[in-house]
Amino acid sequence: MLRLWRMIRGTGRIAEPSPPRPARAAAPRGDTDGNVGATMRALRGSVQIRHVDAGSCNGCEVEIGAAFGPVYDAERYGARLVASPRHADALIVTGVVTRNMAEPLRRTHAAIPAPKLVVAIGDCARNCGVFADAYGVAGAAGDIVPVDAEVPGCPPRPEAIVAALRELTGR
Amino acid sequence: MSTSALGLGLAGTIALLTTLAVLVIPFRLRPTISGAGTALVGTAGLAAGAAALAGQSFTLPLPSLLPLSGLSFAVDPLSGVFIAVTGAVAVAAGIYAIGYTSHSGTSRAAAAVLPLFVASLLAVPAAASVATLLACWELMALTSLLLVLTEHKQRPEVAEAGLWYAVMTHLGLVCLLGGLMIFTAHAGGDSFAALAAAAPELSPALKGAVFVLALAGFGSKAGMVPLHAWLPRAHPEAPSHVSALMSAAMVNLGIYGIIRVGFGLLGGGSTWWWLLVIGLGAASAVYGILQAAMSTDLKRLLGYSTTENMGLILVGVGAAGLFASAHHPELAELALAAALLHVANHAGFKTLLFLAAGSVLHATGTRDLDSLGGLRSAMPATTLAFGWGGLAASALPPGTAFVSEWLLVQALIHGLHGATTATAVTLPLAVSAVALTAGLAVATFVKAFGTGFLAKPRTADAAAARESPATMLAGMGLAGAACAALALVPGALLPAIGRAVAAAGWPGPVIRYGTNGLVTIRLAGLAGEVSPLLLTLGLVIVMVATAAWLRALPARRAQGARRRARLWDCGGGPLTARMEYTATSFAEPLQRVFDDVVAPETRLDVTHLDEARYLVAAIEYRAQVPDRIERRLYQPILSAVAAWGSAARWLAPGSVHRYLGYGFYTVTAVLIILTVTR
Repeated sequence: MLRLWRMIRGTGRIAEPSPPRPARAAAPRGDTDGNVGATMRALRGSVQIRHVDAGSCNGCEVEIGAAFGPVYDAERYGARLVASPRHADALIVTGVVTRNMAEPLRRTHAAIPAPKLVVAIGDCARNCGVFADAYGVAGAAGDIVPVDAEVPGCPPRPEAIVAALRELTGR
Repeated sequence: MSTSALGLGLAGTIALLTTLAVLVIPFRLRPTISGAGTALVGTAGLAAGAAALAGQSFTLPLPSLLPLSGLSFAVDPLSGVFIAVTGAVAVAAGIYAIGYTSHSGTSRAAAAVLPLFVASLLAVPAAASVATLLACWELMALTSLLLVLTEHKQRPEVAEAGLWYAVMTHLGLVCLLGGLMIFTAHAGGDSFAALAAAAPELSPALKGAVFVLALAGFGSKAGMVPLHAWLPRAHPEAPSHVSALMSAAMVNLGIYGIIRVGFGLLGGGSTWWWLLVIGLGAASAVYGILQAAMSTDLKRLLGYSTTENMGLILVGVGAAGLFASAHHPELAELALAAALLHVANHAGFKTLLFLAAGSVLHATGTRDLDSLGGLRSAMPATTLAFGWGGLAASALPPGTAFVSEWLLVQALIHGLHGATTATAVTLPLAVSAVALTAGLAVATFVKAFGTGFLAKPRTADAAAARESPATMLAGMGLAGAACAALALVPGALLPAIGRAVAAAGWPGPVIRYGTNGLVTIRLAGLAGEVSPLLLTLGLVIVMVATAAWLRALPARRAQGARRRARLWDCGGGPLTARMEYTATSFAEPLQRVFDDVVAPETRLDVTHLDEARYLVAAIEYRAQVPDRIERRLYQPILSAVAAWGSAARWLAPGSVHRYLGYGFYTVTAVLIILTVTR
């Protein structure tokens, strides 16, 4: 116990200093509920996120894990991962949408109460990436559910994910 | 002749006539006559009990009815409580039995014995001498044993349960016989009046021995730990209306016996008696409800819940004795009133629960909660009955158990004022035991109701369930209405209970114990009042208001429209019954918490393929929660008895020569001893 205390004291705070707030970009793509800006205002800086791995290689998952880890600490900007779409305001999708995951993805999107946002993370979710036209691929995330924001990269860097989430929370 | 005597006489006559009628009438009419006769016996008993509670006592010696000692009956308000409760239970159970037995069929003996059983239950509290008490007690034990064995042809477990019951009830009788005979021998008369008059002159050690023997005898009937082993076996295996009678009426008589002998005959006694009663009561309550929480057999669960409630009542009785010996008569009366009120409340909800469980058994053919579920749509009335009964058993308002447990806790808490060391240690422990019991009871009945009646049906039998016939529903309806009355206006019953408490008779002044008020129960002299009716009204208003507010909520939102969404099933396929919580899995966290107490047994057998150790062919997992007291206490005794039996077999090899030799040598030895000692 004492060792643990000592370790906590010795390690200190390892979160990176918070970068300046990104200038609000225009809504990158399609608009689900009339207007992404209105949705973001309705959420008032607190976005609960449900993550769906629609067929990823888990590269993006590692980066999302890092974004919510102690170093990048996305939670300080008001974004938080939750365990059920019923608790969520936003859906983040990683990976190319495989045939088996297309329906669960649709149902997860339907299960999120309105107003809601969808973020496609990584090149696979944006445009199928290297798996385009492969067997068993139903399409990119945007082909299955309406996507509001995208994070490019294969995999995207945690900073990019955090920046995208800060755009949603506006903090 | 008073109404109570008339009622009891009528009950006995109707019982005998019904029994004779059932023995001769054809098969088809048997359930109707037997059930209706039982209900009539119950009605007469209820009237007699109510009259006794209203203050109509009577004494009726019948010296010529039994050789040597004769029978003698007397009824006072204390007997009245138990007679009225038994009568009320018998009315509901009798009406229910008409539908229950006409479907499942019943033997001539079982149908004939049912009214006799009820009559013997009514006779035990009316007994006014030791011989009468023991005769009625034994009649009750034998008739209930016959009823437990009703379905022995269908299920082999019934015979085993019957054997346990027969042995345990007779061991209890031996204790009673021993204790009361010692008492009678020293008192010089076997009527209760003579015993009560002689008690002050007896030595404390003798009185202690009598009390402990009586506690063991009566306690075993009440399902007190560690003498409860028969109860969770016999109650589930009996037909459900008999389970209701046993669990709601018969076990009460154990409590009656302890009150009658402890207070009325022995006149209070030492502090350690009552500390013992509180300790055993608290252990019964916690152990009983813990086993009930682990149980997956619906009727076994209810059986253990009976042990729990008897434990709570014993805590009340013990507290009453403790306060009486510490000269706190107002608290003693409050504690005993709480115990007696709990007797009535427990009888109400346990009747309802057992009848509802019987309805489930009748419709699905199983008592296993893990294979039930989804009965809500097929059996709405039974579901409502079990839900109401479960709520009543959970000690939450507007349940019935809430009022009596509240009174009990009030008595225990106020007893701390000016307490001795023993009391100061015991009472907080007793309060915490009552609190733990109440919490676990909620978990138990949420489990039983949630997994048994809600969710999806887990088996085809559960899916094919149909609502029970009208007579069974009528029986449940009566019990449910009684529960509602007890829950909402217990104040109406409290004056009668007060008279019963006054009749229990401990030394010292009898104060009108401190509760009054019909709607609001106030404890006179103590800070505390509760109004179950207003509490229930408040709860209903809050629930209705919340529901209305939630309904109105979306309309006031900017986004407007209410959206219908699919049930969230993790996005995968439809939910199946296999994904539901079972009774076992619901109880698993509790089982883990109380791991050291209940000592669950799990067995994992992994069979490997012949070709490679790394490949698994089959995995078999078994988990069960055995009754630990039974395992640790009874098994060694049973194996010791069996070992003695085998050892004794060596003495009796079947050789006539050897037996003649035994006789010869024994007679010679006796003669030699006589010669030497003379």
